[in-house]
Amino acid sequence: MNTPVLLSARGISRSFGGNAAVQDVTLELHQGVVTALAGPNGAGKTTLFNLITGHLVPDRGAVELKGASILGLKPHRVALKGIARSFQDLRLFGSMSVYDNVLSAIEPTPWLWQPGGSSGAAARRLQVERALDATGLAELAGTRAIDLSYAETKFLSMARIIATGAPIWLLDEPASGLDPASRARFVKLVRDATAAGVTVCLIEHNLDIVTELADRIAFLDQGRKLAEGRPDQILGDAELIAIYFGERRE
Amino acid sequence: MIAYLVNLATLIAIFGIAATSLNLLIGYAGIFSIAHAMFFGIGAYVAAQVALTVSPDFLVAALAAAVVAGALSLCLALPALRVRGEYFVAASLGLQMMASTIFAEAHSLTGGVGGLVGIPPARILGFDVASPDAFLVLALACLAVTLAVVRTLMRGSFGRSLMALRDSESAAEAFGKDVRALKTLVVVVGCFFVGIAGALFAFHMAFVNVESFTLEQSVVLMAMVIIGGAGTLTGPLVGVIALLSLPAALSFLPFIPATEIGTVQQFIYGALMTALMIFRPSGIVGLSRGAR
Repeated sequence: MNTPVLLSARGISRSFGGNAAVQDVTLELHQGVVTALAGPNGAGKTTLFNLITGHLVPDRGAVELKGASILGLKPHRVALKGIARSFQDLRLFGSMSVYDNVLSAIEPTPWLWQPGGSSGAAARRLQVERALDATGLAELAGTRAIDLSYAETKFLSMARIIATGAPIWLLDEPASGLDPASRARFVKLVRDATAAGVTVCLIEHNLDIVTELADRIAFLDQGRKLAEGRPDQILGDAELIAIYFGERRE
Repeated sequence: MIAYLVNLATLIAIFGIAATSLNLLIGYAGIFSIAHAMFFGIGAYVAAQVALTVSPDFLVAALAAAVVAGALSLCLALPALRVRGEYFVAASLGLQMMASTIFAEAHSLTGGVGGLVGIPPARILGFDVASPDAFLVLALACLAVTLAVVRTLMRGSFGRSLMALRDSESAAEAFGKDVRALKTLVVVVGCFFVGIAGALFAFHMAFVNVESFTLEQSVVLMAMVIIGGAGTLTGPLVGVIALLSLPAALSFLPFIPATEIGTVQQFIYGALMTALMIFRPSGIVGLSRGAR
C-alpha cells in the first residue's frame, strides 16, 4: 500500500463470557483504500467495528487513528475524530424526516444550540442538500424515515455518513438486499468518495460488490483474521471460499 | 361558577407547564422518569419558603424554584442516567419515594406533613396579582412562555438530538452526540420548568404539603403526557385538560353521587388509558403528525 495508514487496530481481542468474539486481530486502513471484511456469519466483523468505534471496549490490543490512540474513547468522541459508521440494521432516526436525519448527524454539540451562528447553520444545510442530492433522496427530504422503502433507507444511512464529511467510513452491510440498479448507485457513491480521499472499510456478503469495490480483503472466521490480501488472492483461495460458504475447517 | 372555572383554568395552566416539561423527558428524549412530582414539589416548597421569608414577588420565587429544581435534578440525572430504560424508571421511582419521605419529615424546610401555610399572595414588581383573574393571566403567560421555549428548542438542533437518541441511542452516539450530556441537560431543563409550575401551584393554593407531590402525582403527570400525546407540543396540554376536566364534568352529572365521583373518575382514567394504549398508542394528539 502506497498511501499512509489512517486507522489501525493491533492485536485486538474481545470475549463475551467464554466466547472469544475477536481474537488478536490486526487491521490497517490506508487512506483512500477500500478494505472489505469478509467471512461467514459470526466471524467477528461487526464486533471489530464496535471495538474500533468505542461501542465496545477491547480486552486487549490497541486502536490508533493517525498514530494517536483512540482506545477507550466513547463512541461520540471517536465519531468526532472523523470515523463515521453505519449499522447492519441501519438505526435510522425513524420518527424524523429524511432531512432531519441527515441534519442531526452533523449537529454533534449536545447544548441547546450549535456553534457557528447563521453561517454555520447555512453551511450545514448545504452539506445536507449535497448528501441528499448524492444519494437521490432530495425529493424525499420531508418524508419520515420510517415511511421510506428498503432501498431508500439504505441510501439515507449513506447520506448521513456522506454529510459528516468524515475521512473514514466503516460500512456494515450497506448494500445487502439492494436491487442491481441501486447497487450500482451505491458502488458509484463509494467510488466517488474514495476518489476524493475517503478511506472505507466495508462488511459485505455480496462478493460481486466486494470484487467491484475492494482494494484489499481481510478474511475473518471465528474471531480470527485468517488472511489479508488483494481480492483475487483471497477470493481465489479455495479453502477460504469453502469456509465462507459454510464448510468448516478440519 | 365563574370562580370555579377560573380555578380550573389556572390548574390546567399550572399542570400544563408540568406536563409539558415532563414531555421533554418522556416524549422527546425517551427518558421515563416517575420522579417529576418530586421536582414539582421542590419548586413549590422553594417558592413558598421564598415568599414566606424573603419576598412574595413571583419572579423572585419562581426563579429560585426553577433554579433549585433544575440544580437538584442533577442528583437524579448524574447517577441515574448511567443506566438505561427500565433501570432508570426504577431509579427515579426510588428517588420519588425518598423525596416523599423527606417532604414529610423535613419540618424546618417543608413544614412536615402539615405543610407550609399562609403563603402570601403573589406580587410582580410591586403589582398585586392576588386576584383569581390576575393569577390566571399570570399562569397562562407562564404556560405560553413554556410552550414557546419548548417549541423553539424542539424545532432546533437540541430537539433533533433528543429525538435522535430516543430513536437510536447507539446511532446518535455514532454521529458524535454525547448522550449522557444530552440526557442530563434535558432533565435539568425539564425540571427547571416544573419548578416554575411548582411555584405557581404554591402561590395559587397558598398552602403546600406532601400530599400534592407523591408518586401518585408523578403517575398522573405521566398519564397526562401519554394520553394527550407524548412527543407532541400540544399533546400534554390536551391530556391535562382531559384529566382535570373529567372530575369537573362528572360533578355536573346528577345520577353520580358526590361521594362516588372519585371512584368513577378512577375507573374512567383506567379505561381511558387502556383504550388509548390499544387503539391510539400515540395519544389523542399523537395521531396528528402535523402537531409535532
